[in-house]
Amino acid sequence: MKLKLFVDRLSQPCRAILIFCKMNKIEFVEVRIELSKGEQLSPEFKEINPMQKVPAMKVDERFRLFESHAILRFLAGAFPGVADHWYPADLFKRAEIDSVLDWHHANLRHGSAGLVFHSKLARLSGRPLDLRAAADCEKVLSASLAKIESVWLKEEGQFLLGNSKPSIADLSLVCETMQLEALDEKDRKRLLDPHEKVRKWMDDTRNATQPYFDEIHGVLFQVKDKLKEMESDE
Amino acid sequence: MKLKLYADRMSQPSRAVLIFCRVNGIDFEEVKVDISKRQQLTPEFAEINPMKKVPAIVDGRFKLFESHAILQYLASAFPGVADHWYPADLFKRAKINSVLDWHHSNLRRGAAPLVLNKALAPALGLPLNPKAAAEAEIILSASLAKIESFWLKGNGRFLLGSLQPSIADLSLVCEIMQLEVLDDEVRARILGPHKKVIKWIDDTRNATQPHFDEMHAILFKAKEKLLKMHSDAGSDQTESSRKPALPSKI
Repeated sequence: MKLKLFVDRLSQPCRAILIFCKMNKIEFVEVRIELSKGEQLSPEFKEINPMQKVPAMKVDERFRLFESHAILRFLAGAFPGVADHWYPADLFKRAEIDSVLDWHHANLRHGSAGLVFHSKLARLSGRPLDLRAAADCEKVLSASLAKIESVWLKEEGQFLLGNSKPSIADLSLVCETMQLEALDEKDRKRLLDPHEKVRKWMDDTRNATQPYFDEIHGVLFQVKDKLKEMESDE
Repeated sequence: MKLKLYADRMSQPSRAVLIFCRVNGIDFEEVKVDISKRQQLTPEFAEINPMKKVPAIVDGRFKLFESHAILQYLASAFPGVADHWYPADLFKRAKINSVLDWHHSNLRRGAAPLVLNKALAPALGLPLNPKAAAEAEIILSASLAKIESFWLKGNGRFLLGSLQPSIADLSLVCEIMQLEVLDDEVRARILGPHKKVIKWIDDTRNATQPHFDEMHAILFKAKEKLLKMHSDAGSDQTESSRKPALPSKI
């Protein structure tokens, strides 16, 4: 199966897929779609994903798929040698992971992505900031971090749902929280400091997926510098 | 021990799970959690689902929430569920997963807040919010257009060009059915342009009768009550004192 991934490393769900593939030695061609240049809006990319979003994938030039969770589940099932803990065959364990992945959309994702985009990253594509929307999203983010601490992370196990090994849910959610690196350091600390369990879990997930985790997240730190430049120019 | 399903038939994802179980002959006990009476906020229900939302299931010792996860679990865990609901084929399954994922931030994010902020809020002791309703309507219309132009492409009558319904059809159609509580003209304005969507709703309904109509009956009762509330409010306001309409619990 020849796999093509259409991604921007600045996109949280894209990073989850890239790290997953590298960890599991899944061969792929990375096709960069640069969001800050609006490349996702090109007619060529619309053929790949009519929703005009990343990530998207293509297998053998005929099977197209988008939505990162659907992609992660597909890859876990389609490639040999993917260890069971990523997306267990056990129906009960799998269902629990599915429930985190579902919860994520309207909670952590909505909060975190919205906050970072509306208060920082919009600048990269020349869009205006929207601090009111950012404030609304911050409330959702804080509530979501609290839920991760109280519901999803358990006493036993380092990973979500009390698991002792990471799943695709850990990858998806941690890549999302990593986007907070784009915020000012004081804001990032303010949001994450109250949540010691979350910070430990982010660290554990990072350690479990090195060196790919740091490699794929490299772009985020470059963007942080670029944003500082843009802001000091103003 | 029988499967327990914690549901409120006013909740779109609850209906999808209820209909799915009925259609597939899955034996279950329906435990009503009345949202209008805030029963989802009781400590007892928090034991079932710490996120305090419906639907949720208890299967023996196993507890689960999030309707899509529930539908995926039930399709796999119970014998006799026809393959088309959630195919074993990895490629078909992946496509169904992608609709289910897309749904959260698109159709659901448009339809649910529109109906809440334009009609149902008073039943939950909340104020209407026309601004939030207007913003939600934009997302809803864009989502319906995407269903019309993309998700309903192909030979079959169901999403992804399928000849038979899947859990994705159930989930999304139950969401759109919530629009029934809106004024007929508003509903017609929003749905009218999308002929394929209208037909697909009908096809999904026909494929899951009589359970579809049974589970949706509550919506039509809610619509009647809302109409009555409006007309009562209207007759109150002909008085010179102009009393404001009091929100009542449905």
